Amino acid sequence: MQYLALIYADETAWDSLTEKERRDVYARYTALADEMRTAGVMAGGNELGPTRDATTVRVRGDETLVTDGPYAEVKEALGGYFLLECASIDEALDWAARIPAAEHGAIELRPLHVEPEGGAS
Amino acid sequence: MKYAMLIYGDDSQWVDLPDEEKAKLRAEEMPRWVALFEELQKADPVVSGHELAGRTTAKVVRVRDGERIVTDGPFAETKEVVGGVFLADLPDLDEAIRLAAQIPVAEMGSIEIRPVVQ
Repeated sequence: MQYLALIYADETAWDSLTEKERRDVYARYTALADEMRTAGVMAGGNELGPTRDATTVRVRGDETLVTDGPYAEVKEALGGYFLLECASIDEALDWAARIPAAEHGAIELRPLHVEPEGGAS
Repeated sequence: MKYAMLIYGDDSQWVDLPDEEKAKLRAEEMPRWVALFEELQKADPVVSGHELAGRTTAKVVRVRDGERIVTDGPFAETKEVVGGVFLADLPDLDEAIRLAAQIPVAEMGSIEIRPVVQ
C-alpha cells in the first residue's frame, strides 16, 4: 500500500534559519530518504516552493479565476511530501514520525486511493 | 519548471455516497481525467498523478519532546482538503494554469500550483 506523507510546517520559521541551519535540516532529510531507500519504502518525494510562489486556479461557469497565493492562508503550510510504500499504516506512521518537520510541524498520512473490487481500474 | 498541482475539493458529500453511485460518477468523469493525463504526458512523459483516499482515512503525526502524538483526520480543518496531486515538468506557469483549469475538480474546488524545488 502506498501512503502520501504530507509535510506541514511554519514557513516563517524556515525563512528565519541561517544557511548553516538549513544545510543541517537538508542533511537530515537526505539521510532519512537514504534510509527509506535502503528499507525499500521510498516511492517518491518532493519539496514544494514557498506558498508566496503559489498560484490558485478555479473554474466557475465559463470563467477561469486565477489568484496569487495558496489555496488557504494557514500558519503551517504544505511544504513537501514523501510517497511511502509500506505494509501497513503503522509502518508508515513509524517513518512519518521520523520526518524532521514532525518535531515542530505535522505530518499528514494519506493512503492512495484504491479502486474497490469490481470497479474500474 | 517542475510544478505540483494540488487538487483541493470538498469530499464531505462524496464519502457518504454508496459505492455503486461513486463508481458511476467516477466512470462518467473518467474520460476527462484520462484526456487531461494524456495532455500532461505530451508535455512531460514522466508526469505523475496520485489520488488520495478520502479524508476519513487521514492520520496526523506530530512529535513533541520525543513523544509521538497521532490524531485521526486531515491536518487542516478546511472544507476542502487535498484529494490528489499531479506533478509535471511544464514550459511555464501559464501552461500550468491552462492545464490546471482542465482538472474536473477546478469547477467546484481549487487547484493550487506550486513550483517544485529541484
